[in-house]
Amino acid sequence: MRNGAEILKLGTLTLVWWCIIFGAVWAACYIVGILIPMALTSYESDAARMTAETCRALTPILSVLVFIPINAMFMVLFERRGLAIFTVRLGPNRVGPDGYLQTAADAVKLLFKEDITPRGADAFMFTLAPIVFFAPSIFGAMPLLAAVTNYHELFQIANLPTGIFFILAASSVPVVGIVMGGWASNNKYSLVGGLRSAAQAISYEIPLVLSLVTVCLMAGTLDVVQIAKQQSGGILNWNIFGGGALRGLDQAISLKFSSSAPALQELSKSSFEQVLKSVYLEPTAQALGLGAGQEGLAGIIAAFAVVLLIGSIWIAYGLYMTGACAEINRIPFDLPEAESELVSGYNTEYSGIKFAIFFLAEFTNLFIVASIAAVMFFGGGDCPVPAWLGTALGGPQIASVINQALTPLIEIKLVDPPTLFATIWVILKVYSIVFFAVLIRGTLPRFRIDQLMDFGWKRLIPLSLIVFVLVVYAREFVNVHVGT
Amino acid sequence: MLALSLVTRAKDSLYQICRGLKTVAMHTFREPITQVYPDKMPDTNIRGRLALAVNPETSEHLCISCRQCERVCPDKCIEITAHKSPETNKLELIEFKIDHGLCMFCGLCAEVCPTSCIINTNDFEMSEYSREALVYDLRKLTLSQEESRYYFDRKEIPLPKPKPAKAAPAAAGAAKPAAAGKPEEAKSESEAKVADAKAADAKDAKEVKQADEPEKQTAAPEEKEETENKEGSDKSKD
Repeated sequence: MRNGAEILKLGTLTLVWWCIIFGAVWAACYIVGILIPMALTSYESDAARMTAETCRALTPILSVLVFIPINAMFMVLFERRGLAIFTVRLGPNRVGPDGYLQTAADAVKLLFKEDITPRGADAFMFTLAPIVFFAPSIFGAMPLLAAVTNYHELFQIANLPTGIFFILAASSVPVVGIVMGGWASNNKYSLVGGLRSAAQAISYEIPLVLSLVTVCLMAGTLDVVQIAKQQSGGILNWNIFGGGALRGLDQAISLKFSSSAPALQELSKSSFEQVLKSVYLEPTAQALGLGAGQEGLAGIIAAFAVVLLIGSIWIAYGLYMTGACAEINRIPFDLPEAESELVSGYNTEYSGIKFAIFFLAEFTNLFIVASIAAVMFFGGGDCPVPAWLGTALGGPQIASVINQALTPLIEIKLVDPPTLFATIWVILKVYSIVFFAVLIRGTLPRFRIDQLMDFGWKRLIPLSLIVFVLVVYAREFVNVHVGT
Repeated sequence: MLALSLVTRAKDSLYQICRGLKTVAMHTFREPITQVYPDKMPDTNIRGRLALAVNPETSEHLCISCRQCERVCPDKCIEITAHKSPETNKLELIEFKIDHGLCMFCGLCAEVCPTSCIINTNDFEMSEYSREALVYDLRKLTLSQEESRYYFDRKEIPLPKPKPAKAAPAAAGAAKPAAAGKPEEAKSESEAKVADAKAADAKDAKEVKQADEPEKQTAAPEEKEETENKEGSDKSKD
């Protein structure tokens, strides 16, 4: 560990910025969503009640508006420092204490820069492009809010029964903004960048959507809150492990753990097998119409289906990450803004605040993509430790200690423990995925445009269709959590 | 068959990607190679700005106005003004100018200098507000005694022989100082015998060169005069 100091610095930086970001969001939500309505309840008039309700209803949008700029600042810094570590450099460490304020300074600089519209550009379109690019990342994130905060009452309003559908629809809008910006710039590099982006987004949206549809198929719902809830109860229940395909195993092990007394050993052993049988064998036998004597065959088919399901979901996750990287124009799919080929692609002509908005939206999209992955594949705000292991490790005691410590804060409604823990887990998961994206960025070179198209249409789309069909068949034989 | 080859290729490429990711991830544990420049000055042997060294022991100027550096300079950025002293029939250095705006730091001047007077220092911070300020004159170029000692030690240049010691019996002729010089060299040679014969040869060659100089010189007092002259010219410039 010759680089321990730098890794430690990145860790501290991350923690400090997390505290800043989520402290700010938490404070904003608390003031607008709880404090102001509470203060207004003393006035018994319709106007006061109306205002209180409006404040509550505005909390989700306010939290997103507070969150996006600060978070983008941190993510840029995180990416630069992380990339610096991967490329054996130091990264920005001058502005503020150890470079903490580098991106804040950059943001201020961008805001004060002159906003230039090039001669011959379509001024209206030129101004509209960043707005069209940025707006979807605000309203697209809405349904996710309810899922990542454990369905907190303030964010219930943001939930939609067709959440993931809405998110996907919103995430396909930014490409219009890119094409618009590229065309309005009156610059051939920008135009080529915009057109490339259109081609790329159209091609890679299909595997992206198909992989998410695969997950929705297993979940049996499009509601992100439902999908997150189904996966609660530890890592074995997450969609990345077959969406409940391992739940029987989880239940069986938990039974074994709960009856650790020696007298119950025999009983627990039999119940272990019974649970496995009832969860895996019987549905398979039923689905195939096998009789009582063909349990062995049913077992083999059930095991095969479980393995197939988990493998398919892993491939679906890979497809999702690939498609998502292409969708948000990240390396290795950053053809629309390839510096070495197109100067800077669609945002060549942009400066000042418009460029800042493009930049902001890009990193917000990365965050949204990562949080979709966290909710759809990694259980949302669920603790990865299974319940039985958590109990064995003294989880309830720790939770009660934390609850006691937070009691004064809970009483003034500043903290809601389930929401708090859910948020912390989501942050960890999302930033792990972001970190992986940074690692990918540090490793892979850019695609050539024809390779990109080949890869998208000839490889990813057939593969995603195959995975979809496999999951359709495999889930017939396995008890995935449909309808739970 | 096609499907199989596709699967194999996918497997191979995945493996390669994973290898790449592993390599990059392993870089995490390497020490950063970034040099934190203004905080920590780079400590490498670079060919930085040019300077004129003085004798680290006696602090007299080493330049003998031979103009070899001026001749060899590909950029013609060195300009030496010297005149022959009528009394001693010896060159006296009046002005020495180097235009660092033209210099390409090739180090040829330092290579040819017979007295190791002109050297490349480690200094590279020469930012100025005008091009004219990059033309360094004699006063700006000449290093102090301590600086000269530092660079002589660092570059492992053999110390120039103390001129007064050699020049004192100069009236008697050239043979004596040469003879006085040789045993010294022999001593150092015996010390470095084990190390490298070739280096010793090179040293010998240099020694001969340096020994030739006192032959041309006639007397010690004139040398003193020369330094005085130089100081005078400096003052006049001020």
